[in-house]
Amino acid sequence: MKHKEEGWGWMLAVDFFFAGMGGGMLLIAGIADFLLGEGNTSVLGNFLGAFCIAIGACFLILELGRPLQAWRVFMNPRAILTFGAWTMTIAIGAGLIYASFGLKMLPWSDWVILRKLMALGCIVTGLIVATYPGVLLGRHKSRPFWNGPGMIVLFLFSSLVTGGAAHILSAAILPAYYPGGLSGLPLMVALLLGFQLIFWVGYLWVKISGTTEREAKAARKWLKGNFSGKFIYGFLLIGTLLPLVLLLFPGTGVIALGAFLALLGGLLMRLLVVYSGEDRTWLPGEECYRARLPLGTEEFLKAWNTK
Amino acid sequence: MARYALVIDSRRCIGCHSCTVACRVHNDLPIDMIYNPVTTVGPTGVFPNVHMVHIPLLCMHCANPPCVDACPSAASQQRPDGIVWVDEKKCVGCKACVMACPYGARIPNHEKGTVQKCDFCKERIDEGLRPHCVETCHQKARIFGDLDDENSEVYKLVHGEHSIRLLKELGTDPYVFYIYGWEV
Repeated sequence: MKHKEEGWGWMLAVDFFFAGMGGGMLLIAGIADFLLGEGNTSVLGNFLGAFCIAIGACFLILELGRPLQAWRVFMNPRAILTFGAWTMTIAIGAGLIYASFGLKMLPWSDWVILRKLMALGCIVTGLIVATYPGVLLGRHKSRPFWNGPGMIVLFLFSSLVTGGAAHILSAAILPAYYPGGLSGLPLMVALLLGFQLIFWVGYLWVKISGTTEREAKAARKWLKGNFSGKFIYGFLLIGTLLPLVLLLFPGTGVIALGAFLALLGGLLMRLLVVYSGEDRTWLPGEECYRARLPLGTEEFLKAWNTK
Repeated sequence: MARYALVIDSRRCIGCHSCTVACRVHNDLPIDMIYNPVTTVGPTGVFPNVHMVHIPLLCMHCANPPCVDACPSAASQQRPDGIVWVDEKKCVGCKACVMACPYGARIPNHEKGTVQKCDFCKERIDEGLRPHCVETCHQKARIFGDLDDENSEVYKLVHGEHSIRLLKELGTDPYVFYIYGWEV
């Protein structure tokens, strides 16, 4: 039943997308630094990681009813949104400082210990930023599609996929100092896409067959309801399977196209997941009641509000 | 310290929506905001055994309110007497509480950019009065009082009648109790 939407909108999904991608980029850059040494990821990609998180934070601010009061989201240490806001801020700082080591004209570019510390900071904060939307959504007891730890895994995989894809695209624009170090990144992203596909199938299967009726009802929307076309054709086929195949082919252009489609898939997934939160555990008679309420676009309401 | 609770006797409720109107008028709510809807279940059954029940909904003033934990700006607060309320000056309109509340009791005010909810008319309670919705209910389907007071009507109803709480399996420990005449 159609009812007036009062929850989170597309801007939060875009925040999750950019922040997740940025977190994934920082995580990959930090791990590459520890395992392979400096210069294996593109400087452009290292900077973009921090910028993407900052862009995500901007969308989060725009989603607020009072954007100019955004500083207040740092105020409640018990709230997971506060935890996320602090972590994103630290991740932006750590990411920018780490990326600056790629600019050889800067005097601190050869300070190895500080670089390693920043790489560690990128790994820790990147992992948290990549994962925390899953924790945030999974804790909603009354949102049957979100509830449970499965969201954490789905968001972590998607963040790693989009972070890896963004590094591939960055390296295509501005290659790393040692481009051979991460030559296996397209294969790794393809593998992650494969894992992501398996986890999504498993998540929906468990939701439909192994939980409560209201969770099953919410999950069935993804296969037969109003989300099914976007999910099956948009996310599974164009955003997951097609890039998985393209990333296995040699050739920069094909791989870049695969990476781009993986990014689109990540964005679509977040939009669908955020909008699936509209499904609440309804109270007796509530769904019918709310379906009768005006949506806000009716002529009589417009006329009333302009009086 | 008192612990305020509301008992709704749905056997008495006739679905007149007086509580909805009284709440909206006294709280000066915009046209598209309702703190206090009344839903209807039924009619069900086969004549002559046909049933219909009206269920007034509102903030449950939970003992474990997920909205308070979710609020990043600490605008959502709980008083020692259990009343959950929103400090509008601190609210940034992030809607984290809207999503966290299992009862749909929080409503964004698009004009102010904040989120609002029923606060049991706390200013009236502080003056020793009852909430507007309770005051206006001519069927006396809403009974408000201190659950810690063994002589109060709410204490007797909650402990004497077969009262239930909505979505109690979520562990929110709501302080609005319902008395049904039949199973919904």
